[in-house]
Amino acid sequence: MNEQALIQDAQKGNLDAFNALILHYQDSVYNTALRILGDEDQAADAAQEAFISAFKSISSFRGGSFKAWLMRTVTNACYDELRRQKRRPTTPLEPDTDDGEEMDSPRWLADPNMTPDQKAEADELEHAIQHCLNNLPLEFKTVVIMADIQGMDYTEVATSVRVPLGTIKSRLARARLRLRECLQGFEELLPSTFRLEEGSSA
Amino acid sequence: MNRRDIELLSAYLDGQLKPSDSARLESRLKSDPELVAVMDDLRAARNLLRRLPQRRAPRNFTLTRKMVGQNPPLPRAYPFLRFATTLATLLLFFTFGLNFLAPQLAAVPGVGFGGGGDPSIDLYSESQAAEAPAAAEPPATQAPAATEPAAQLAPMPTMMPTLESERNAVPPTEKIDATGNAAVQDQSQVVNEAPVPVSIGWQITLAAIAMFGALLMLLMRQSAFQRWRQKE
Repeated sequence: MNEQALIQDAQKGNLDAFNALILHYQDSVYNTALRILGDEDQAADAAQEAFISAFKSISSFRGGSFKAWLMRTVTNACYDELRRQKRRPTTPLEPDTDDGEEMDSPRWLADPNMTPDQKAEADELEHAIQHCLNNLPLEFKTVVIMADIQGMDYTEVATSVRVPLGTIKSRLARARLRLRECLQGFEELLPSTFRLEEGSSA
Repeated sequence: MNRRDIELLSAYLDGQLKPSDSARLESRLKSDPELVAVMDDLRAARNLLRRLPQRRAPRNFTLTRKMVGQNPPLPRAYPFLRFATTLATLLLFFTFGLNFLAPQLAAVPGVGFGGGGDPSIDLYSESQAAEAPAAAEPPATQAPAATEPAAQLAPMPTMMPTLESERNAVPPTEKIDATGNAAVQDQSQVVNEAPVPVSIGWQITLAAIAMFGALLMLLMRQSAFQRWRQKE
């Protein structure tokens, strides 16, 4: 696939060329949306919106990493979706504290009172990771999804998120730390080779 | 262990540190087990995320032309045709309105087409009414017959003040002078005609342009869409 030629054709309004690009990137775009939103249907809608938006604004693409540009479009679509959800709030999964405030720690799922069977029923590894991702602040989540799940390099992530490289490094480190803390609650679900050592908090 | 150390470890795992910073951190790692433990944790978290299965898109997200509001390229004559058709249609409706309103507006004193309520028309009718008997004097035998209808008809042109009526109205004194019967004939012609600002011929022409233009535009669009679909 000659990506540059396809991009140039798409910029001239050639929809077939853009569709070829979509077929190449749709899995990455969908997975990014899925990890940010945590819902398959919403992720599919966001991905579709992102591609429509990307085609309409492809003339603004001035070179560089097309994947990074596309990821910025999909993250914007996801942010729009999250804003819509905020306007139409639904019942949160997380339990409230005695003060009526939402728990900011995901450890409630790893409650010692829960039996291993209950845990196993409630979570698979993927769900656990998704759960931990969902509990990250949005800007941390976006960065860690792009860097660690999509395998983008720091420069691409910085281009997508439009923040300096130093901020990307900082957000990524903090996101990994928070994920580590969260995943410690799902120790039994983790593959033995990936078990995290207890008591090694920073 | 501070935040800066954690950022260094995270960047070190990704190979994003400068060689000098890497060397410094590696020497610290040799002597600081806590640093090593945190690095292991960060690495484990990163590897877990990397192991997360990539889901396949549930469907193809390819776009259709309808989704992006794209239309087929139309012939270059299309905009001109659209302009001409629109103009012809507007003019057609304007003429309908004009012809409909003309008699009603003419009935209002001082309002008329072509003269903007030209007072000369009224003057003419008055003077004609006044002059008619005088003008009819020379042909003494025909005078009563000629003056009577002329006097009756005299006010009528003011009701339908058109260019045509004006043209017919100017020479009557001469015509009456010459032949009184001819004058009466001309006046009655003015009355019997239903004068309109725009003739039916113009309206038919405008309607034909509008219909032909619309039909041609429709054919152009259909042809463009067919060619487009064949290309897909």
